[in-house]
Amino acid sequence: MKNDMGLIVKTMARATIPLIGIFGAYVVSHGHLTPGGGFQGGATIAGAGILFLVAFGLNEAKKRYDKNIYSALEGLGGLAFLGAAMLGLSVAFFYNILWKDKIAFAGQPGTLLSAGYLPIMNLAVGLKVFTGLVSAMMAIALFRRWKK
Amino acid sequence: MNVLPFLIIVPLFGAFSMPLIKLISEKFRDIWAVIISAITLCVAADVFYTIWKTNQIIVYTLGDTTPLGKGVGFPIRIVWEVDLLGALIAVTIAFVSLLAIIYSLEYMKYDTGLDKYYTLILILELGMLGIVITGDIFNFYVFLEIMSIASYALVAFRNDTWEGIEAGIKYMFVGSLASSFILLGIALLYGQYGTLTMAYLSHYITREPTFVSKVALAFILGGLLFKSGAVPVHMWLADAHPAAPSSISAMLSGLVIKAGGVYAIARILFSIYGISLNIRTLGWIVIFFACLTLIVGNAMAVVQTDMKRLFAFSSVGQIGYILLGIGIGLAAYGTKVGQIALAGAIYHTVNHALMKALLFLVAGAVLHEVGTKNLNELSGLARKMPLTSFAFLVGAAAIIGLPPLNGFASKWLIYESSALYNPFLAAVAVLGTAFCTAAYIRVLFTFFGKESEKVKEARDPGKAMVIPMIILILAIIIMGLLPWQINDSIMLPTAKMLEESGKYVLAVLGG
Amino acid sequence: MIPFQFVTAFLLICMGIYAFLYKRNLIKLILALDIIDSGIHLLLISLGYRLENGVLPTAPIYTGYETLKGTPMVGPIPQALVLTSIVIGVCVLALAMALTINAYRHYGSLDINKLRRLRG
Repeated sequence: MKNDMGLIVKTMARATIPLIGIFGAYVVSHGHLTPGGGFQGGATIAGAGILFLVAFGLNEAKKRYDKNIYSALEGLGGLAFLGAAMLGLSVAFFYNILWKDKIAFAGQPGTLLSAGYLPIMNLAVGLKVFTGLVSAMMAIALFRRWKK
Repeated sequence: MNVLPFLIIVPLFGAFSMPLIKLISEKFRDIWAVIISAITLCVAADVFYTIWKTNQIIVYTLGDTTPLGKGVGFPIRIVWEVDLLGALIAVTIAFVSLLAIIYSLEYMKYDTGLDKYYTLILILELGMLGIVITGDIFNFYVFLEIMSIASYALVAFRNDTWEGIEAGIKYMFVGSLASSFILLGIALLYGQYGTLTMAYLSHYITREPTFVSKVALAFILGGLLFKSGAVPVHMWLADAHPAAPSSISAMLSGLVIKAGGVYAIARILFSIYGISLNIRTLGWIVIFFACLTLIVGNAMAVVQTDMKRLFAFSSVGQIGYILLGIGIGLAAYGTKVGQIALAGAIYHTVNHALMKALLFLVAGAVLHEVGTKNLNELSGLARKMPLTSFAFLVGAAAIIGLPPLNGFASKWLIYESSALYNPFLAAVAVLGTAFCTAAYIRVLFTFFGKESEKVKEARDPGKAMVIPMIILILAIIIMGLLPWQINDSIMLPTAKMLEESGKYVLAVLGG
Repeated sequence: MIPFQFVTAFLLICMGIYAFLYKRNLIKLILALDIIDSGIHLLLISLGYRLENGVLPTAPIYTGYETLKGTPMVGPIPQALVLTSIVIGVCVLALAMALTINAYRHYGSLDINKLRRLRG
């Protein structure tokens, strides 16, 4: 028995999944200017992943999902967040040393490349949220131990 | 002063790098957890020693060197403010967590999915350490939720048994409702006063207490009494603490209901609300709940047949002692009786963490070797497992309050202060101890009785499970031999520093 | 007259508490927790809407530094608080869903009156 959702849904999913991905990347990277940021953008991109799981069925999704890589990426996102917070540890924890001493990401306030370590933290949190939510959804979908 | 952020950085680094370490090998993952918690214990001991030597409150700002804004006179950044009470509980948390992790090296050897277990236990420790060092009320709520979610997942860790799932569901629903009430109280406080720093809130509330602040206090106190297991809302404790794996039960019963429950009540009532409300009424409300908890908790422990459920109800009873001490400390604020009661409550917090951790580790050893928790089938254990029975003897004697061990000193302080304040409360406290003695003597008679069939092939557990029990026995005996030195040098200054809420406010606003 | 944002938030919290006390299906209890959280978030966000010199504030979108200097915006701190609280709500929801699936596997039904094997 095929467990995908029919030809119409599959064609529309092929069209909209990349667009959701691009919109999610916009929300993540413009977190210091417009409403958005790490968690909101990460949840949007996870929506694209879940649309793939629902429209194309569990067998197709199982071929493209590797548990260890997603787990390692989640840990890497967390470590990047902690590393960016510890850069200015000589003054205080979470000190924005990239903005105050004009090392990187220091432009006019209101442009894209500004606000110090905020874009780095947004990207790290977005990666962690995306991998975490997709792993949780795959774990719930793969849970069929009682139906032999 | 600049090792304080490492108390949060080190467990967070350990928890985030655990999925990467798992790819290297399995044995290294266990050792990594032990290394991380050992480093946390060193940092916590260093912070406690600094505060104890200089007798000053440490204030640490996140993001800059001073919490005040540029050109304005009020704090705008998140502040971490540690006084002697916070540092003492942080050392207790780090110590018992290290012992629980060493114990679970062998106890959880036959379970699968252990990398998630070690990540969750490090996050549980991180949440508790964050609660005791923070000085900002929303930061306190975030760390409280981190600790609670990690403990819901750990109670339901063994998800192939029905007991863990049922206990996890009940614990999670009640705990989530309580956290929502706490958030409602914080939202009302923020809407009325416009600030989130605890010291500045205290400054405002003393100047103009309004009706909204009293409603917010009612919501926050209700939510925190849920979390600490006081009596009308204690039912989740009897289901959740037995169903968890035994090393987690030791951490739950010894640390979570203290850091997330009783410490938070003390901090909010003394440092934020201080002397602005009618403090005798507030003290008597807390004393009322404490008396109920003492009687009901200890009485329900006598009729149990499940060993871990008996220990869980006994935990409820001991929380009654701590709440009694805090209540008398509030109602008799400013006098010598109040200070002694508060010192007794703080001393009993530290003592009970050590004693209950030892008892739950003993229960875990028995469960691991024999396979059952039912007291009717466990008779005659003392001949086959001598070290475990001796550990249980020390732990039970300490909780009852026999003299050469450490439980005696803290219970004596609570008896003395309650007798001087109001003799009815002393009668209730002694009644609670009578019930507690009955419950533990019953288990002791079972252990030293005739042998039953199930204990015929029981042996003492392996090395990794025996070492934490020996360390806890030594700690209990050594702390029991010097009670008055510990009381005068550590507990009384802690009580004094908690009562002076003026110093707490000046540390942030003055400098 | 109390602004209608606070009345709506209070009504949402009351509806959530009613559903939590009187419904028996596990999934309805999880939804009740979520409704209580939504009520508290509405209360927190509506605390940031303040009049400044009689001008109504706008949403905090900050592209282009020179054109927006001087336009009053809504308070940013309640938005940060609500964002953190929404993340915590999502975590509790995910954990509750996983435990509900396990409970169905062990007990065979989603009725909370059937989860009564632990007693004493």
